[in-house]
Amino acid sequence: MTDLLTALAASSFSTWVRESPSIWAYPTILTLHTLGLGVLVGASWMVDLRLLGFASAIPTTALSRAFPTMWAGFWLNAFTGLLLFVGDPMKATTTVFAWKLGIIVVGVLLMIALKRRLAGRDVDAVGAGGGVKAIAIASLVLWVAAIATGRWMAYA
Amino acid sequence: MTDSVVIWLKSTSVSQVMTMSPYVWPICEMLHFIGLALLIGGAGLIDLRLMGFFKSVPLSAVMQVRKWAALGIVINVITGALFFIGAPGQYIENPAWYGKLAFLFVAMVNVAVFETRQGKRILTIAAGEDTPVGFKVAGAVSMGSWFLVLYFGRMLPFIGNAF
Repeated sequence: MTDLLTALAASSFSTWVRESPSIWAYPTILTLHTLGLGVLVGASWMVDLRLLGFASAIPTTALSRAFPTMWAGFWLNAFTGLLLFVGDPMKATTTVFAWKLGIIVVGVLLMIALKRRLAGRDVDAVGAGGGVKAIAIASLVLWVAAIATGRWMAYA
Repeated sequence: MTDSVVIWLKSTSVSQVMTMSPYVWPICEMLHFIGLALLIGGAGLIDLRLMGFFKSVPLSAVMQVRKWAALGIVINVITGALFFIGAPGQYIENPAWYGKLAFLFVAMVNVAVFETRQGKRILTIAAGEDTPVGFKVAGAVSMGSWFLVLYFGRMLPFIGNAF
C-alpha cells in the first residue's frame, strides 16, 4: 500500500499538483475545495436548522430543492479532494484522514436518508417520522467534525 | 507607522497566545471555516432567491436565515482579527489580504444599501413571485463579492506568504 502511494507521489501529475508554481495547480484546487465545503455544509446546515425549527416561515415542502446544491458541493469536493490526494498521497496514511473520510461517508448517508424522508413532504404538518430531527442534529454535528478534521490535516 | 503598529500588536498577550500555543491558531482556523460555511449557506440562499431561484418560497421567509449568515460574519471577523493580531506582518504586506478586505467592504456596503433602500419591498415578494432587476443585481453582487473574499483568503499563502 505504501509502495503504491510512494509510486503515485513520484508521478508527474502528482508532482504538478504539489509543486507547480502555476496558480491553476494547488492554489486553485484548494480554493475550489474550500468553495465546495461551503456549498455542501452551508446548504446542509440551512436544511438541518430549518428541520430543528429555525426559519419556520420556509415551507418544509421546499427543502428537497436544496439537495442538488449539496450534491454539487459534494462532487466538487470529491473531485478536488481526489486531486489533493494525488498531490500528497502520504496524507492518506494519517489517522485524521481516516476519520475525515469516515465522517464524510456517514454525513452523506444521513443526507440521502434525509432526502428520502423529506421528498417534498410537509414535515411540520404530517410529520415525516423516522427521526428527521435526530438526523438533522447528527448532520449538523458531523459536518462540524468534517471541517475540524479537514483543518486538522493541515497540521497532522 | 505600520512597522510600529506591527511591533506593538506582536507584543500584546493576545498575539503571544495566538502564535505560541500549538492549539489556539488551528482552533481559530476551524472556527473560521465553520463561519465560512454558515455565511455561504445563509447568504448564498438569500442571494439565490434575490436572483430569482426558489420562487416557491416567499422572500421574507428566506430572509429568516439572515441571522445565520450574520453569525458566520461575526465568527469570521473575530477569528480574522485574531489571526491579524497574531501575525500582522504576514497580512499587512500581502496583496491578497487587501483584495480580501476590499471585497468584504463591497459585500457589506451592498447589504447596507440594499437593506436601507429595499428593506420594506423585501416583505412584499410573495411565493411564486419573481424579483425586480435591482434585487437580482444585489444578489449577484453579494454572491460575487463573497466568492472573491473566499478566493483572496485562500490565496493568502500563495499570492503573499501567510501561513
